[in-house]
Amino acid sequence: MNVRFFFLCIALIGMAHADARPKLELQCVSIGEGPALECTARLQNANGEPIKTATVTLAAHMPSMPMAHSIKPVVAVATNHPGEYRTQLELEMPGVWAIQVDLSAPNRDRFIRRMQVERCEKGKRCPALATSLTTSKP
Amino acid sequence: MSAEHAVGLASDMGIMALLALSAYLLLLVGRISFGQQAFFGIGAYVSGIASAMAHWPLSIALFAGMLVGALASCLLALPTMPLSGLHYAVATFAFGEMVRVGLQAWYFQQETSDGPVGPAGLDGFRDIRWLLENDVSPSQYLVLIAAVLAIVLLAFAWLERRRLGVALRMTGHDDVLAATQGLAVTRLRLVAATTAGALAALGGGLYAHRATYIEPALFDPMLGVHAVSYALIGGLGTCLGPLLGVAFDLGLLEATRVFAGWRMVVFGLLVALFLRWRQRGLLDEALVHRFTQLFRARTQASR
Repeated sequence: MNVRFFFLCIALIGMAHADARPKLELQCVSIGEGPALECTARLQNANGEPIKTATVTLAAHMPSMPMAHSIKPVVAVATNHPGEYRTQLELEMPGVWAIQVDLSAPNRDRFIRRMQVERCEKGKRCPALATSLTTSKP
Repeated sequence: MSAEHAVGLASDMGIMALLALSAYLLLLVGRISFGQQAFFGIGAYVSGIASAMAHWPLSIALFAGMLVGALASCLLALPTMPLSGLHYAVATFAFGEMVRVGLQAWYFQQETSDGPVGPAGLDGFRDIRWLLENDVSPSQYLVLIAAVLAIVLLAFAWLERRRLGVALRMTGHDDVLAATQGLAVTRLRLVAATTAGALAALGGGLYAHRATYIEPALFDPMLGVHAVSYALIGGLGTCLGPLLGVAFDLGLLEATRVFAGWRMVVFGLLVALFLRWRQRGLLDEALVHRFTQLFRARTQASR
């Protein structure tokens, strides 16, 4: 039997455990008509300290078109600011996109943020707004 | 293609194959359902709630999703099975939309140290984190999906050689003739619909845990139409047909990335042209029969 699968089976009967999660702040701007989406992720640990050694990958998909429009994962590069990572996603069209931020180090984690991405004028940068379709519980 | 993306794509193929097999099972008994996405969604939400809010183990959470999916499908099938093919298709479509709109209005959240968790209407259901909390890697999860799919395919292969499998196909080909042969047509269709609901819900549960995030928009009619197309493109001759259909469909979607925003338009055109060329899909009954005869001839020759 595959050893990994054996351990997975063991994990299946185990109960979940929770560690303190890092905090993510995600800001994106759409560039040009494409539109390309430049995203900056700022990561902090539970104590509020920047996470400097993270491996961050960004991907995106359109929730309104399941499996149809998805952007391949792109590795984000650390900027000069500690705990800040940046990359660019080449989106296929404007609209509401779910931006997926994956951390593979120091701990694995995943964050999803929905963004309303608008088509921009050529050469201009427009902020992509985080969307919440409902503001409060009815 | 990066290894990470390839693992994600293979996982999606495995999950979509379960949804395609649920549509295939209904096609076998002569029913086209445009509502399988509803059971996929029900499975996703129920298993998500079970693992993320009730902290149940994944296996039990998936089973709970399957159970509720099967129950919902059975309850839908009871009044709709006597309907004719077209009316059944419309009824399942309406049910799919009813579930989606219902999920849009459904709030059931729990406060945790990391914020609220649970279904939040149009904003969906985030942080279904069982895989992350239990350190299951995407490739390990792919192994699990492949194992589940293999078990389901083996069950189908076993079923199709039994009387029940033949009875299901007979019902699909001609229900009046099947009834005159003494087959309980309505009961057979009810069993098929219930099992199909469970399969779609299992796929949904696996999807929710892979994606960690689901929302009602994911379970729109497009997903249901794709499920039926997977089975039709792959062919109805064998249970491997839907699997082939998924590989063809998602493979073609990947191959047409170069068309960017026009990808779905090009994809739709290619599928239409393909079905014009092979109306009964890639692995149709005639091709399966030819393969079976070839296999038998070789087996006999080797003896």
